[in-house]
Amino acid sequence: MGGENKNGGNWVGRAVPRKEENRLLRGRGRFADDIKLHDMAYLRFVRSPYAHAKIVSLETAAAEALPGVICVLTGREIAPKTHPFIEIAPEPGGKIQDYPLAVSKVRYQGEPVAAVVAETPRLADDAAELVQVEYEPLEPVVDAEEALKDTSILHEESGTNKVWNGVFEYGDIEAAFREAAYVVHIDRMHFHRFSSTPLENNVVIGEWNPKDDHIYYSCNNSFPSFAIQFLAAHLGVHIDRIRVETADIGGSFGIKITSYPQMAVCALASKKAGGRPIKWVETRSEHMVSSAHGNERTFRDTRVALDKDGVITAVDSRHIDDCGAYPRYEPLGCVIWSQVVPGVYRFRNVRIDFAQAVTNKCPVGPNRGYSRMQHLWFLERVVDICAHELGIPGDEMRMRNYIRAEEFPYLTPNGCIYDSGNYPKMLEVAKKLIGWDEWKKKQAEAKAEGRLIGLGIGTTLDSGTNNFGQSQIVNPGAPFSGNSQGANCKLDIYGEVIVAVGSCPQGQGHETTAAQVVADVLGISPDLISVRTGFDTERNVHTGFSGTYASQFAVSGLSAVHGAAQKLKAEMKRLAAFVLEAKEDDIEFGTGNQGPELCARSTGKSINYWGLANIVNVNSAVLPTDMHDVTLNCRYVWRAPFKVPDKQKKYGNLTLTYASQLHIAVVEVERDTFIPRILDYVAVDDCGTVINPPIVEGQVYGATAHGIGAALMENCVYDEVGNMLTSTFSDYTPITAVNMPKVKYGHISTPSPHSYSGAKGMGEGGAAPIHTISAALQDALFESGVIIDDSFNNADSLFRALVGKEVAQADKVVRVDRR
Amino acid sequence: MAIKLGGEFEVKRTPAEVYEFLVDANKFAPLLPDFQGLTVQDEKHFTVKVNVGVSYIKGTAEVKMELTEAVPATRAQYKGQGSVSGGNVGITAGFDLSPEGAGTKVRWQGEAQVFGRLTSVAGGLLEPLGKKQVQKLIDGLQAALQ
Repeated sequence: MGGENKNGGNWVGRAVPRKEENRLLRGRGRFADDIKLHDMAYLRFVRSPYAHAKIVSLETAAAEALPGVICVLTGREIAPKTHPFIEIAPEPGGKIQDYPLAVSKVRYQGEPVAAVVAETPRLADDAAELVQVEYEPLEPVVDAEEALKDTSILHEESGTNKVWNGVFEYGDIEAAFREAAYVVHIDRMHFHRFSSTPLENNVVIGEWNPKDDHIYYSCNNSFPSFAIQFLAAHLGVHIDRIRVETADIGGSFGIKITSYPQMAVCALASKKAGGRPIKWVETRSEHMVSSAHGNERTFRDTRVALDKDGVITAVDSRHIDDCGAYPRYEPLGCVIWSQVVPGVYRFRNVRIDFAQAVTNKCPVGPNRGYSRMQHLWFLERVVDICAHELGIPGDEMRMRNYIRAEEFPYLTPNGCIYDSGNYPKMLEVAKKLIGWDEWKKKQAEAKAEGRLIGLGIGTTLDSGTNNFGQSQIVNPGAPFSGNSQGANCKLDIYGEVIVAVGSCPQGQGHETTAAQVVADVLGISPDLISVRTGFDTERNVHTGFSGTYASQFAVSGLSAVHGAAQKLKAEMKRLAAFVLEAKEDDIEFGTGNQGPELCARSTGKSINYWGLANIVNVNSAVLPTDMHDVTLNCRYVWRAPFKVPDKQKKYGNLTLTYASQLHIAVVEVERDTFIPRILDYVAVDDCGTVINPPIVEGQVYGATAHGIGAALMENCVYDEVGNMLTSTFSDYTPITAVNMPKVKYGHISTPSPHSYSGAKGMGEGGAAPIHTISAALQDALFESGVIIDDSFNNADSLFRALVGKEVAQADKVVRVDRR
Repeated sequence: MAIKLGGEFEVKRTPAEVYEFLVDANKFAPLLPDFQGLTVQDEKHFTVKVNVGVSYIKGTAEVKMELTEAVPATRAQYKGQGSVSGGNVGITAGFDLSPEGAGTKVRWQGEAQVFGRLTSVAGGLLEPLGKKQVQKLIDGLQAALQ
């Protein structure tokens, strides 16, 4: 990197090359599976082939007798020695008893029923096959709406498959419908189940030291401070006896947040194995069937009120969320969507009756754009369907309904504050980039030739830095609120600037951006700053919210780093003033012949960082007692300015920043093959002040790839008895570079007033392509009588809609009342 | 994944003779495709070993069979549960017998529920493969009863 800063002294905002690259691109990254500990043994799970079955018998003797096998764990063995995992839901969902190994029944295909520990991974594989399990199949429930009928109960202790239910109502919904010029009814829409496919699967090394009863984890969990709260209660140990360390992580996208059950098993296996470290490395097939999927959601009985100009005045709908077999991070998703109740639109009257159900499918986890993605897709479908039904062009419909630039900060109907944005401008930029008018002409020409081409617009909100107080809306007894992040900034003994943060980066460039922030505070190059990578509880910088999730690092993480750097700067200045016999306001920061230094302007005397660190750390007798509080080792905890929301009214500010992305796609459905092909694609981003433009651009490309894959290729398909039919890459077909269209990238910046730098958290824009491609397909197929009512559309589903007329037929999905 | 099959055929033997054949595990079980071995527990329960193989998932499946319905000269139904690496299978096979001239008309229905990784790995292969295997069983049954 190096060189002088030509940007007015600001490193923030510059295209500083990523510090991580030097390590990662040379293959020198350190991932969890790279770690080998002395005397380590290996764990393999025995998993259920059934989606729903009683465990009649479980025989482990043959496996235990295999030479090289150390021990076998079963659910029946660990249940009396542990507590069920904490449930976030109130009763009856709160009564669910979730153990990391099935105890008496299995509830999804791939659920672990036993864990085998052996001297080598292959021996563990062989021994796992010797575990004999007899099952008695039970009626599986794979559809959330069916699950809510409670004909087959997954968790007898809760007595119902309903995890949570609540009505979110704001404004005067009935008045809006009475006064509407049009009411559009949409019977059913469905957001499909998909997951993320990080390069690196889940990995856990667990070691329960029998000498001091401390547990050590080296793993790639992406929200360790959340995991240890669950693990401590489950394992019955003090939380400060659990150390979690993460290194480089090969992608998470949220779904590695819920690896704590496997972490629990590794610790318990270590304890049984006499304290030996136990490693578990998830296979790809295991990852597909049993790590975590994104939430599936069904939207029923939707009514939309519009005025005579096509302005939406009210939305009324019933939403059913499918969280799979165990809630785990849920039912937080039942409220998290409400961070974006109106999406990017101005309607003030809304009623959503939201329910969540367990089904005999893989438990869900907070997959990218979690919970907001499903709701925003719903709203974008509502806008598009209404536009087509009323004959209003998609771009015009949006312009009539967008929140306007001058309305920011914008108070949503449920009390959230959208910090900044300019959606009309994003649309203008995107239309220009894609050549909207030219494509409209080409579309008309293609139509005359019988081709099916559509243009679609999708706008998504990337709400970042959660107010965890929203958990109290789903459970008034939940002990969480606000948000915080910690960071530490110090001069080490030789004067190097060391930064430590409580995040777990997985490619987001935290090392680089943290260094940029500190570089600006101290006036030195980011090259001179070392940022400790990964998370470690023993660094003592984390808070209860530390981790990497929910688009927040640019706000919470960097605010903490900024605060710690400011504290360090103040201490350095005070110390330098003492040493240089000058006043503090006479001290300036810079770089001299002996590296970074502080200089007294009036005398020209200076001291470099090493000199300052030396005094504090190894030459402390020269310090007067009134300076003994100077440590040059500064921890700062940043706290978001949130209040606890009104639990009864479900009202309050739930998120601090709202980045946005607006995409436009041109899609053609081939007449012969029904394959949807992207002909052109634009992504425009607004994440406020940009810390590092290439990193932001990379995040946008990654999210776009993820969303295109989700829209056209990736679908977790289950059959009627709960078999997952897409558990390999041959069937699941994650998107690759080969399938990616060329994406034209654009950017606008509306700085956030809610962060010190104006930055907004981002990285979860993966929803935008799903909205956009659905909209483009709608535009292509509306005249064929097809309503895009599902978020997943491939050649098969389009064939069934267009030729078989089995699905998505407009006359069965949509009805319009014109008054 | 559920595979449902059914059909009918005629044989020259009487319903009583067909029934006796169907409920005798020692006669019936060897007709199962890729039959490897049989252990009879009692007159209603037996365990049969068969070779199974789809793509690279190959192995011996142990299927525990139970004669759940037995109405002499009229109906016989088996239910079975089996396991193989990568999956489990539940089987129901029913035979309804009725006189047809001097012989018997056999109406049969079979259903196999396949659970586990086998289904996702083998995908669409399972149904045609299942049909082929069942046809082998019916062909064998017809041949044995002629």
